[in-house]
Amino acid sequence: MIKTSDLVSSLARDLPPVRRLRPPLVRAGCWLMLAAAILALLAVAQGLRPDLARCLDDPAFVTGLAASLLTGILAAVAAFLVSLPDRSRLWLLLPLPALVIWLSNTGYQCLSQWVSVGPDGISSGEAARCFATLVLTSLPLSLVMLVMLRHAAPLRPRIVTVTGSLSVAALTASALSLFHALDATMMILMWNLGTAIIFVALGGVFSRRMFRWVAPRAPTISQ
Amino acid sequence: MARGPHENPSHLRLVSESAPHDPARDNGPGITPKARDVDWAILMAHAQDGDSDAYLRLLQETTPYLRSLAQRWYHEPQDIEDAVQDIFLTVHAIRHTYDPARPFGPWLVAIASRRLVDRLRHRGRRKAHEAPLTTEHETFIGTGTNLEEEPDRKGLVAAIDRLPPKQRQAISLLKLKEMSLKEAAKVSGMSIVSLKVATHRALKNLRKMLTDGKDT
Repeated sequence: MIKTSDLVSSLARDLPPVRRLRPPLVRAGCWLMLAAAILALLAVAQGLRPDLARCLDDPAFVTGLAASLLTGILAAVAAFLVSLPDRSRLWLLLPLPALVIWLSNTGYQCLSQWVSVGPDGISSGEAARCFATLVLTSLPLSLVMLVMLRHAAPLRPRIVTVTGSLSVAALTASALSLFHALDATMMILMWNLGTAIIFVALGGVFSRRMFRWVAPRAPTISQ
Repeated sequence: MARGPHENPSHLRLVSESAPHDPARDNGPGITPKARDVDWAILMAHAQDGDSDAYLRLLQETTPYLRSLAQRWYHEPQDIEDAVQDIFLTVHAIRHTYDPARPFGPWLVAIASRRLVDRLRHRGRRKAHEAPLTTEHETFIGTGTNLEEEPDRKGLVAAIDRLPPKQRQAISLLKLKEMSLKEAAKVSGMSIVSLKVATHRALKNLRKMLTDGKDT
């Protein structure tokens, strides 16, 4: 067992300078710019959905899209703030109003116009393309956020991961509704709610394990 | 452990004039907590730039303070030292997250309470899987102490004695002396196959003898 005074002097010996983190809002902004870039690239590569102009006239669609985008943005800001030790946990409530609007809008749409199968049936091609969008959006965003928030590992790993996952899920769902014509209610439910639930659940379950890959290494002492 | 590990540690405050173990008094009578916080913030800012002396002073000055925080959760001096060291390691690993424009105290206390709660949780989880080793356990493992097995043992020995000689030899070599088949074959001069057959028949006979004995 090492004495505390010895540990203190060994930590202070040969202390390398560290680069301070930029303010959380700036870092969240950087991450959101990456998200915007990914969405723009996907729009170029895959093309927007053909009936987007018509959809944009539909207030329910616009509300849902705006709410999911807002949820993504606010959840990202909250995750970056809460990842710091001295920020209040109340920031976690920031994305809540947008989340409520997004989910209730989706739910309302599904209840009011239930179409179990689209006019042409569920085409497997569209589902595969949806899945491609899902992976292409969420994977880089999740990894980058994980690395950017690695300092939260010894502090609040779970809640930070859950909030970050919510942000990724909301942005992914926005991408899906921008790029893919989802006519069947089941599809909308699956791609909106399903994505959100899967990401948040994965984040909650694997938060500690994921952070262990990228966490700043501190020599562990036996308890 | 006086408090549950899931309680909100919001009662940990850096500025506590009336705290019984206020370490601010260690720094001399003229130093207010606010001045001390500014001091620490400046030291930390220097430490972030690579100033070893400032870092050493900061860690040394915060040690009694962290110790008094840990004392509210732990009683054993060893546990308190472990907790303080754990906090220092975490502070060291994420020292780049401190923003010198903000007060140092809340940053330190947030990390400290996080580590303290985590350690208590970890300990509670570990305790749930552990049972203390009592004298009872030792009694059960020691062969000489298990007197209650004697009657069974006598019956078993008697039953083995009643077996045909080949079967008795197979049981005694393979089961009682715990030899391998090869070793038993060498000692007894029987082939491995006949040893296996003899053991099988012996077990069958024993089972019959012992269950019959119980039934009657």
